[in-house]
Amino acid sequence: MELTTFVRGIISLLVVLGFAPLFAGLVNKLKAIFTGRLGAPVLQPYSDLKRLFRKETINANSSSFISVISPTINLVAVVIAAAMLPIGFERPLISFEGDIILFAYILGLARFFQILAAMDIGSSFEGMGASREAAFAVFAEPIFFFTLGSIAFISGLTSIYEIYHSIRLDNVTYIVFIIVCSISVFILAVTECSRMPVDDPKTHLELTMIHEVMILDNSGVDLFLYQYSSYIKLFIYAILETSFFYPFGTRSYTVAIVIFVVVITTLSISLAIVETITSRFKMKSIPHYLLFATAIGILNLLIYTFTV
Amino acid sequence: MDLLFYALVVQIASIIVIASVRNNHKASAAAHLLLTAGLVLGLSSSFPALVFSNSSSLNFSSLLNPANIFRFDSLGLFFLNIIQLVAIPTTIYSHSYLRHYIDEGKSVTSNFIFFVLMIVSTQVVVIANHAILFLICWEVMSTTAYLGILFEKEKRDVQTGSFYYLAVSHVAVFLLYIFFFLLHQQTNSWLMSDFHNLQNTGSLFILLYTLGLTAFGIKSGFMPFHFWLPRAHPIAPTIFSAFLSGIIIKMGIYGIFRTYQFFNYAPEWLGWLVLGISLISAIFGVWYALAQHDIKRLLAYHSVENIGIIGIGIGVGFIGSAYNSLPIQILGFGGALLHTLNHAIFKTLLFIGSGVIYQNLGTRNIESMGGLVHRSRYFFILFLIGSIAISGLPPFNGFISEFIIFNGFFTTAKELKNYYPLLMIISAVGLAFVGGLAVACFTKINSIMFLGTERKEIKKFHISNYEYLSLSILAFFCVLIGVYPQPFIGIVNKVLNNGFVTANHSSELLNINWLFISIIFIALLAAIILIFFLKRLIQKKYGKRISAPWGCGYEGLNYRMQYTASSYADELNEIPKSILVYHKKVQSPKGIFPAKGSFESHSVDLIDSKILLPAFRSMSKLICRIKFLSYTDIRYYIAFILITITIYSVIAFLWN
Repeated sequence: MELTTFVRGIISLLVVLGFAPLFAGLVNKLKAIFTGRLGAPVLQPYSDLKRLFRKETINANSSSFISVISPTINLVAVVIAAAMLPIGFERPLISFEGDIILFAYILGLARFFQILAAMDIGSSFEGMGASREAAFAVFAEPIFFFTLGSIAFISGLTSIYEIYHSIRLDNVTYIVFIIVCSISVFILAVTECSRMPVDDPKTHLELTMIHEVMILDNSGVDLFLYQYSSYIKLFIYAILETSFFYPFGTRSYTVAIVIFVVVITTLSISLAIVETITSRFKMKSIPHYLLFATAIGILNLLIYTFTV
Repeated sequence: MDLLFYALVVQIASIIVIASVRNNHKASAAAHLLLTAGLVLGLSSSFPALVFSNSSSLNFSSLLNPANIFRFDSLGLFFLNIIQLVAIPTTIYSHSYLRHYIDEGKSVTSNFIFFVLMIVSTQVVVIANHAILFLICWEVMSTTAYLGILFEKEKRDVQTGSFYYLAVSHVAVFLLYIFFFLLHQQTNSWLMSDFHNLQNTGSLFILLYTLGLTAFGIKSGFMPFHFWLPRAHPIAPTIFSAFLSGIIIKMGIYGIFRTYQFFNYAPEWLGWLVLGISLISAIFGVWYALAQHDIKRLLAYHSVENIGIIGIGIGVGFIGSAYNSLPIQILGFGGALLHTLNHAIFKTLLFIGSGVIYQNLGTRNIESMGGLVHRSRYFFILFLIGSIAISGLPPFNGFISEFIIFNGFFTTAKELKNYYPLLMIISAVGLAFVGGLAVACFTKINSIMFLGTERKEIKKFHISNYEYLSLSILAFFCVLIGVYPQPFIGIVNKVLNNGFVTANHSSELLNINWLFISIIFIALLAAIILIFFLKRLIQKKYGKRISAPWGCGYEGLNYRMQYTASSYADELNEIPKSILVYHKKVQSPKGIFPAKGSFESHSVDLIDSKILLPAFRSMSKLICRIKFLSYTDIRYYIAFILITITIYSVIAFLWN
C-alpha cells in the first residue's frame, strides 16, 4: 500500500469516527422537530459522550471480566468495520479481496461479546435484551448477503470498495435492482442500529427494549464506549446507504463530497420520518418484518437474474 | 518413515504397561506417558513428511511394507497429522480423566486399551493402501469406539445409545465392503493407489460413487444419517466423545476425499446433491443444537453442523471438478480440508471442556449450571476461545476456513456466470445464516454455564494442570491458525496440488491476502488490549466501584431470576414450528394466592422422529415376520453359519 493511500484511508476513518455522533444528533433533532418538539441541540451526542467519559464506572457485583472487556472489543470491532468503508471514491484503510465477509463477521464478533456482557449481569432484563438481539441478528444476517452480497456475486468483486465502484447506471434493470437493494439496506440499518420500528431507543420501559436494555447496568467509560460504538455503527450503515450514489460523483472531489452530505442529510430526514410515523412493532412480528426484507431481496435477485 | 512405525509400536506398548500393572495411578501415568511419547514421536515423523518432503518418495522400508500395503501421500499424511495433533491433548486429558475413576475403584484398564487401539487403528486407516487393511482397521476403529462408549454399561441410555452407533457403523462398513469389492473387480487390484482414474461414466460409476459417498457420509454424520451422533456422544466417556467428534467422523470426510480421488471427477448433479445435503445438515444441525440443554448433545448437533460446512466446501469442489475449473476446486476442497483440521481442534477443546465440567458438577444439564467464571476464569477463557472459533468469528481459526469457502462461492459465481451467481448467493446466505445461529447457540451455552450467578450450589470445582495443559494446547492452535494462517494454508495447498486436483500448480489459496488479514487480526488484538489499559487509566481518574445490578428498585434479586437457557433460546425456537418440533407445557400460577406453576419444554428432532424411527420400526416388523428360523440356543446359529459357508465354498469351487 502506498503511503498516500494509507494516509487518505486514515483520514476517511477519522471522518467516520468524528462525524458519527453528529449524524445521530441530527436524526434526533429532526425527529424532535417532526414531533413538534424543540429537541436537544444537534451536538448533544458529543456532550453526552463527554459527560459519560467523566463519570464513575459501576459494575454489577455478579459480573465478571466479560463486562470489563466487552466494551473495548465492541469499539475496536466497529472501528475496524468502519475502516473497510469507502468515503467518496477514496480507497478505505482496509480493503482486500473478500473483505465483505470480514465486515459481516467482525460485526458478529462485536455482537457476540455484547450478548455475553449482557448475560454476564445475571439479571432477567439483560437476558431479555440478549435473547432478542441474538434472535433478530440471525434474521438480519441474510438481508446483508442478499443486498451487498448479491451485488458482489453479480459483479464478481468481493471488496466493499470495488463492489460500490462497480455500480453502473447504464442498464434500467440494474438501476431498479440497486434501488431495491438500497431499500433492503435501509431496513437492515434500522434493525442493526436498534431504531424504530424494530427497537425504540427512547422508551422508558425496560421490557420493551432490545439494545438499551443490554447495556442497562453499564456506566461511566463502559457506557461511553458502548454509546460511541453504537453511534459509529449507525454511521456505518448510513455510509453503506450513501455509497450507492457513487456513480453520480465519480468525476470530482467536490461533487462527491456534496453528494455525500446531501445523501446523508436526506437519509437522516427519512430515518426521522420513519421514526415519527411508525410505532415500535410487537416483538413477535419483528422476525416477519425481517423475513419480509429478505423476501424482497430474493425477489429482487430473481427478477434481476431472469431479466438480464 | 520407519520412525512412524516405531511410534505406533510405542503407542501399542502402552497397552502392555497398563495391562501388566493393573489399575493404579502409577501404571496409568506410565501408560499415558508412553502413549503421549508415541504420539509425539509419530507427529515428529509425519509432520516433516507432510511439510518438507516430496510425499511420493516416502514409505516404510520394504521389510515393513510388503506388497505396498501402506502409502504416504499428502492427503493421508494431512489426516495423520490431524489425528496425532488432536490425540496428544486428548491423551493428556485422559490421564486426569481416568484418575477420577481409579479413585472410585473402577477398573479403567479395558477402557484405556480400547482408547489406544482406537487411536492406533485410526492412524493406520489413513496410511493404509491395501483395501483389506483399510477395512480391518476401519472395523477395529469403529468397534473399539463402541466398546469405549460402553464404559458405564450398567446405565440404560448407554445401552441404547451405543447400540445406535454400532448399528450405523455396521451399515457403513457393509456398504464399504461392497464398494471395495466392486473396485477390486474393476481394477483387479487391492491397492488404493491403483484405483485412481477409474472410468467415469456409466451406471457402475454412479453406483460406485453413491456407495462410497453414502458409506462415508453415514460415518461422518450428514443428515439424515446424523441420528447416532446426539445419541452416542452424551453417553460416551469424554475421551471417547472428544475423539469421536474430533477425529472419527472426520474419517468419513477422509473417505469422501479418497472416493473423489479414485475418479478424479465428479458430475455436476453430485456436486449439487452434496451441497444441498450439507446446507441442510449445517442449518438444521445448528438449529437443533440451539434447543438442547444437554451440553454434550448440543455439541454433537454442532458436529452435524460443522460436517455440513465441510460438506459445503466439498460440494463446491465437486462443481468445480464438473466444469474442470481449477480455482473453484482449490477453494472448495481447500476450505473443506482446513475446516476439517479446525473443527477437529475446537470441537475436541469444547468436548474436553464439557467433560471437565461434568466431572466437577456431575451433570450435563446446562440449566443447573451458572457462574462458573467465578470459579475458574482461565478455564472460561479457553472454552470461550473454542466457542468463538466454532462460531466462525474472527480472529480465530473457524473464520479462516469459512472465509475460504465463501471465496469458493464467489469464484464459482465469477467463473461460471449464468444462473450460478443466484445459486451461490443462496448458498452463501445459508452459510451466513448458520453463522448467525451458531453465535446465538454459543452465546447461550457460554452465558448460561459460565456467567451470572450459580444456579445450584457447587461443592467443589477443581481443574487439574493436565486438563489445563490439554485445553491450552488446543486453544493455542485455534488462535495460531486464526492469527497466522499462512503456513497452514500452504500445507493445505500442498496437499491439494500433490496429486489431488491436477498436476498444474495453482496458487488460488495463496493469492488471498493472508498477510493483510493477519495484520488486521493482530491490530484487533493489540487495539483491544490498548484500549483496555487506557480504560483502566480513565477509571483510575474518575473512579470505579461495584454495586448490585439494576432490579427496578427491587432489592431481592436472586439466582432464580436469571434468564435460563430455554428462555434465551425461546425467541428462536418459537419461529420454525414446522421444522423444529418444540413442545412447551406451561402451567401458570393461578388465583390470588398462587400455589404452584410449572414450565417444561423439549424439542424433537423431526428427521429422527418422523422419518427414521418409523422406518426402523416397520423394518423390524418386516424382519420379525420373516424370522422363522429363530432359536434361543447359540449352537444352532453356529451350525447355520457353517452350513452357509459350506454352500458358498462349494459354489465358489464349482464356479472356478
